[in-house]
Amino acid sequence: MTLRLSRRQIISGMASAAVLTGSPVRNAFGQKRVPITEGDVAPLPIAIPNFVAGTPGDAEVGVGVAQVITNNLKRSGLFAPIDQAAYIEKITNIDAAPQFQSWKAINAQALVSGRMTRQSDGRLKAEFRLWDVATGQQLTGQQYFTSPEYWRRIAHIISDQIYERLTGEKGYFDSRVVFVDETGPTERRIKRLALMDQDGFNVRYLTRGTDLVLTPRFSPSTQEITYMEFGQGDPRVYLLNIETGQREIVGNFPGMSFSPRFSPDGQRVIMSLQQGGNSNLFVMDLRSKNTMRLTDTPAIDTSPSYAPDGARLCFESDRGGKPQIYVMPATGGPAQRISFGDGSYSTPVWSPRGDYIAFTKQGSGQFSIGIMKPDGSGERILTSGFHNEGPTFAPNGRVLMFFRDPGGNSGPSLFTVDISGRNEQRVPTPGFASDPAWSPLLS
Amino acid sequence: MKVDKTLVASVALHVLVIGWGLLTFSSKAYEVMPEESVPVDVISADQLAKVTAGMKSGKKENPKPLAEKIAEAKPVDDAVGKVTEKAPVVTDTSPPPQPKPVEKPLDKKPDPPKPVAEQKPKEEPKPVEKKPEPSVDPIAEALKKEEKKPLPPKQEAKAAPPPPAKPKERTFDQSKIAALLDKRDPTRQAVTGEALNSNAALGLAKGKATDNSATWGALFQSQVERCWKKPYGGIEVQNPEAAFAIRLKRDGTLEAMPVPEGTPATPYLRVYQESALRAIIECQPYNLPAAYFEEWKYFSPVFTERKT
Repeated sequence: MTLRLSRRQIISGMASAAVLTGSPVRNAFGQKRVPITEGDVAPLPIAIPNFVAGTPGDAEVGVGVAQVITNNLKRSGLFAPIDQAAYIEKITNIDAAPQFQSWKAINAQALVSGRMTRQSDGRLKAEFRLWDVATGQQLTGQQYFTSPEYWRRIAHIISDQIYERLTGEKGYFDSRVVFVDETGPTERRIKRLALMDQDGFNVRYLTRGTDLVLTPRFSPSTQEITYMEFGQGDPRVYLLNIETGQREIVGNFPGMSFSPRFSPDGQRVIMSLQQGGNSNLFVMDLRSKNTMRLTDTPAIDTSPSYAPDGARLCFESDRGGKPQIYVMPATGGPAQRISFGDGSYSTPVWSPRGDYIAFTKQGSGQFSIGIMKPDGSGERILTSGFHNEGPTFAPNGRVLMFFRDPGGNSGPSLFTVDISGRNEQRVPTPGFASDPAWSPLLS
Repeated sequence: MKVDKTLVASVALHVLVIGWGLLTFSSKAYEVMPEESVPVDVISADQLAKVTAGMKSGKKENPKPLAEKIAEAKPVDDAVGKVTEKAPVVTDTSPPPQPKPVEKPLDKKPDPPKPVAEQKPKEEPKPVEKKPEPSVDPIAEALKKEEKKPLPPKQEAKAAPPPPAKPKERTFDQSKIAALLDKRDPTRQAVTGEALNSNAALGLAKGKATDNSATWGALFQSQVERCWKKPYGGIEVQNPEAAFAIRLKRDGTLEAMPVPEGTPATPYLRVYQESALRAIIECQPYNLPAAYFEEWKYFSPVFTERKT
C-alpha cells in the first residue's frame, strides 16, 4: 500500500511533531522534560488509627484523641480520613515503622500513629508520628506533656501539626471562639457571652444573661475579650478577663460606645463613640487611657478592624449615602472607599494574613458573606441567603465563621466556610448562637 | 440686507464637503465584506488520548473506543466538489465542539466495517498520532457526483463554514462509492474514535484504546496524572513547579527513587513536590512504548500549574 499524504495530513502531522518537540517533550539539559499539569485537587486520604495506650488505663483517651483529630481534619475539607473499619494493620508499637503496604492497600497517602501514656507524676504524655505512605518517610513527629484534662487541646495541637505539614499552611484547630449564646423565645431572648473550642466542645458561659451583650472580640493574648453591653444607661464597651472573670468599662465617655476591637499588639482598643446622630472612630490606649480621635465626619463610622501589621484599618461608614467599606491609616488621615458593588457593605474584618477583608453585604433582599482584597478588588461572595452576618477569620485566614438566621421562630447558628466558598459546615452550639469571634492560635 | 458672498461660498462649500464626507465615508464603512471564518480546533496529544481511551469493562471483540458523539463533518460540500484523484481529500480533522450535530451520518452504520473498502480498521496501534476524523461519506458522495480537479488543500482549508451535509447521502450506494474510490490511492488511515460506537471498548491493558498513538510523553503524563492529588493552594494564583529526574526500567517501574530538582522554597512548594513524588511512586509501573525506551528510561517529569 502506498502512502500518500494530503496537505491536511501533513499539516496535522507537523502539528503533532510540534507537539512532540514542543511542549510535552522538550529537550533541556540533556533530559526530556515532560510537563504534568492535570492533577486533581482532592482531599488527601489519611489514616488515623486510635492512639496506642501506653498503660492499660489510657485506651479511652487514645481513642478520643484520634477522634478529635479525625473530626478536625475532616471538617477542614482538605482531608479524607479513612474509616477505621478498613484498616488492615493494627498499630501496636509506634516506635517501629508501620507496614506501608497494608496502608497503601487501603489507598491511604498519610498515616498518623500515636501513643498516650500516663506518667508516674500524673501527667499525660502524647506522642505522634506522621508518615508518608508512598515513600515510607516520617514527615513529622512530636511529643507533649500535659494534664490529663487537657487531652482535647493536645489533640487540636497535633491536628495543627498534621495540617501544617500536609498543606503547607498554618493550622487553626488549637483555637477558641467567643460568641453570643441565645436562649428563650424570640421576643425575650436571653443573650450570654459564651466561649468554646473551635469544634464546639468545652462551652463556657462568661456572663449571666441579665444584660444584652453584643460584638465580643478576642484580644491577641486570647486572655481578654472586649464587647458591648447594654447595662444601666447607655451601651458601653467592656473588657473581660476570661480567666479571672474581672471586667471593666473601657473609658468614660458621655455617649454610647460600641463596636470595639483590639489592636494587633493588644495595647489599644478601637471603637465607635456616639456624638449626636453621628458616630466617629476613637482609639484608646489601655494603659495610659489616652484617647485619640481618628475620624470626624457627619456620618456613622463604625466596625473598625486593624490590618495585621497595625498600619491601616478598615471600617464601615455611610458618609457616601449607603454603608460602605473604607480603609484609612491607623493614625488617622484620609479614608479611601474600597467597596463599590451594588447594595451596602458592613462589618468589615481584616484577615490575620492581611490578604483579604471579609464583610457582610446587603442587597436585593439577601445578606451575603464575602471577601475582597484591601484595595477593593477581587470581591467574591461566599454565601448568600435570608440573613448571614458577622464574619470572623480563623487564625490562618483560610476559613471564615459567621452566623446565619433562617428567619421565622428559629434562631441563628454558626457556620464555617472556606474563603474559596467551599466546604460550608455548621458549628455545633448548645443553643442559638450569633456574633462569633475567632481567637488567635492559643499556642 | 447684504450678504457676504464669501460667507455664502464658505457655507456652501462646507455643506458640500461635509455632506459628501458623511455619505461616502459612512457608506464605505459599511461595505466591508464579512470575512469567512475558518473553523479550527486544536487538541493536544493527551486530550486525544483521553478521547480514545478504552474501558477495562469493555468487550474484547469490540476494538473501537467508546465514541458517543462525533463532530459533524466539516467543510464537506464545497471542498469536496473540487476533489480529483490527484490530491486525496481528507475532511477537516478537528471535531468542533458542537453540542448537537445537525446530522449523524454515522450512527446507522455498523461499527467496525468502514464504508470504504480500503479503510478497514487497522488492528495495530499506529505510531503516528492522528486525530479523529469525521466520516468520509460526504466526500464520497460528492466524488460520485463530480470528478473535477481538486483544489489544493490550502483552498480547501479556506472553504466556507460547512453547510450541513445533505440528507440524501443516506441513500447512496456504498459499493459504488467503494469502486470509485478504489481507483485512488489510500487517503486516510483508520483512526479510533472516528465512528460512533456506543459500546465500551476494552482497549489495551492500561485502558488505552487500540489505536492510541500518543507520544510516550503524553502517555506518561496521562498515567501519572491519575495518581496525582494536588494540595489545595488557596484562591490566590500560585505557580508552583516540581521537577524530578527519574529512571525507569524496561517494565515501567522505577529503577530508583525519583530525584527532586532543587529544594522547595516554601512549605507549600514542599507539599506540592511531595504530592508529585507520591504520584510518581504510586502510579508505577508505567506502560510506555518499548520502541522509545532509550528516550524514557531517564527523563524529567515537571509538575506545574503553568500552562504554556
